Amino acid sequence: MSWGDQVSYPRAILHIDGDAFFAACEVAKNPSLRGKPVVTGKERGIVSAATYEAKRLGIKRGVALSEVRKICPEAIILPSDYETYSLFSNRMYAIVRRYTSAVEEYSIDECFADLTGLRRTFRMSYAEIAQAIKRDLQRELGMTFSMGLSATKVLAKLGSKWEKPDGFTCIPLRDKEQFLAETPCIKVWGIGGNTAAYLEKHGIQTALQFANKNEAWVRRTVSKPYFELWQELNGEVALELDTKGRESYQSISKTKTFTPPSADGQFVFSQLSKNIENACIKARRWNLASGDIYFFLKTQDFRYRGMELRLSHPTNVPQDILRVVREHFPRIFRPGILYRATGVTLAKLRDAGSAQLDLFGSVLKTEGWKKVFESVDGLSRKYGKHAVFLGSSFTAMQFGTHLGERGDVPDRTRDPFRGETRRKRLAIPTLGSVS
Amino acid sequence: MDEYAKKIHQFYERHRRMPSFGELMRLWSYRTKSAVDYRVNKLIREGRIAKDKTGRLVPGNPEGTRVLGLIEAGFPSPAEEELLDVMSFDEYLTPNKESSYILKVKGDSMIEAGIHSGDMVIVERRAAYKPGQIVIASVDNEYTMKYLRKDKKGAHYLEAANKKYKSIYPRESFRVEAVVIAVVRKY
Repeated sequence: MSWGDQVSYPRAILHIDGDAFFAACEVAKNPSLRGKPVVTGKERGIVSAATYEAKRLGIKRGVALSEVRKICPEAIILPSDYETYSLFSNRMYAIVRRYTSAVEEYSIDECFADLTGLRRTFRMSYAEIAQAIKRDLQRELGMTFSMGLSATKVLAKLGSKWEKPDGFTCIPLRDKEQFLAETPCIKVWGIGGNTAAYLEKHGIQTALQFANKNEAWVRRTVSKPYFELWQELNGEVALELDTKGRESYQSISKTKTFTPPSADGQFVFSQLSKNIENACIKARRWNLASGDIYFFLKTQDFRYRGMELRLSHPTNVPQDILRVVREHFPRIFRPGILYRATGVTLAKLRDAGSAQLDLFGSVLKTEGWKKVFESVDGLSRKYGKHAVFLGSSFTAMQFGTHLGERGDVPDRTRDPFRGETRRKRLAIPTLGSVS
Repeated sequence: MDEYAKKIHQFYERHRRMPSFGELMRLWSYRTKSAVDYRVNKLIREGRIAKDKTGRLVPGNPEGTRVLGLIEAGFPSPAEEELLDVMSFDEYLTPNKESSYILKVKGDSMIEAGIHSGDMVIVERRAAYKPGQIVIASVDNEYTMKYLRKDKKGAHYLEAANKKYKSIYPRESFRVEAVVIAVVRKY
């Protein structure tokens, strides 16, 4: 170990970012899509991911699909297959964990890995370890990743954005000034438009100018999160890797858009009912309960109308929530108006075990329902999600979320193997058919 | 254990020897040694104690080991350790989980290799592939499953396991994507 290395990498943090991840998963599944402009998000009506071939034609995330068809009629538009994306995502984490257990699963297509101290174990430099991880990922997953290696998360993230796709950028601390000088503040992870504008008022345009400010000035001028960014830009770890993953939730939201929009109260209510059921499923999985419910309806012209409700006791049983929502639904729902989405949020979640009894004994009624839903969850584990659902969700369940071409489902669900069901499939990505 | 045997037991625990008749008289609060003898004989008949060749008392088991309790006969329940050396079907079929994929077979080009239409093949993406393996190759951006072969000049080609199909000598776009490691068929 030379002195230089110690100075350049007091810590060695790697950021790994899947290139156009959802679209790349689609191409990995189906080789006939290689080299073509592929877009995912058909069911949402907007682009959720686009291959680099599509990006080169000017297609960006969030663009309406009607726009995509105009810009590029030959673009291949696919419905999202989150099941496959999740399988690929888990594989990404697993491959990185072959090298280090210190992995932060930052999002479905990104993770951080701490490689500090592993040079002896692998008899490789940090850059070589990173290259080995990249090689494994690309070989086994059949898609490319961009990576950044540096001493902190913020600098590593700057590295992975530096060259994309299929890039690998090392930012040793001794070279960091060059990189920061070329980086406008807004490109730094965690700095948004407002903060960038605020910094500019103080004459700061580049990340380097910000990093070079003295500590007293930074403490005086910006709030704590930005002070931490300043530390990270200077190579000092302020943001440790969160390797534990999510342990709980503050709130759970479920929102679904449906097409075509509907003015049918019963249909809209059943969409809401389905969201409530789904939110409760998630709450039960984490053993959480909520007494503060927010629900809303979204109209065709994107107006929201909602209501906040407080229950007498925290719950994760959908009946408890539906009872009050049904009561107040007519106050929100206006006949003759087209609705396109419903949503529900269970807020102020707390441990379901510690929920208090209420004065008038409605908790006792809930106790019985709790047993029922223990069985419902058991059935779902065995037969797949929504094996059993409430009658009030029936209409929503029956028709799926989207009619028409937005209702396209991923291939994976269309041609199952013998023994697979509509609700349960093998936990392994399929590459389609082969002759 | 009755009161009398218990007292002998306590004595034995404390002194690591059996009591004499005189000591038993005090222990049991008897007035005569014949009464002691009567009680001792009863305990001997019950097998709780015994006499050695010289007539001195010894614990019930001549070897001096203590019976700690009865053990139910039968097969013990399977211990954790016994199940350390077994694997699940997942591990068996996909030993390298992260690089494994499945495909559905269409057509009969590999019928002589025992791979039928509708079968599931499990494949692995690897760094290198060898002639003789059944591989998934993309030829003109379509997946095809064939034997990977090498001709005398050292060029790779793809061979079907069915005489009806000609071998494929790929020209431009030919890439081996994965190797078949298992075929699964459910009935």
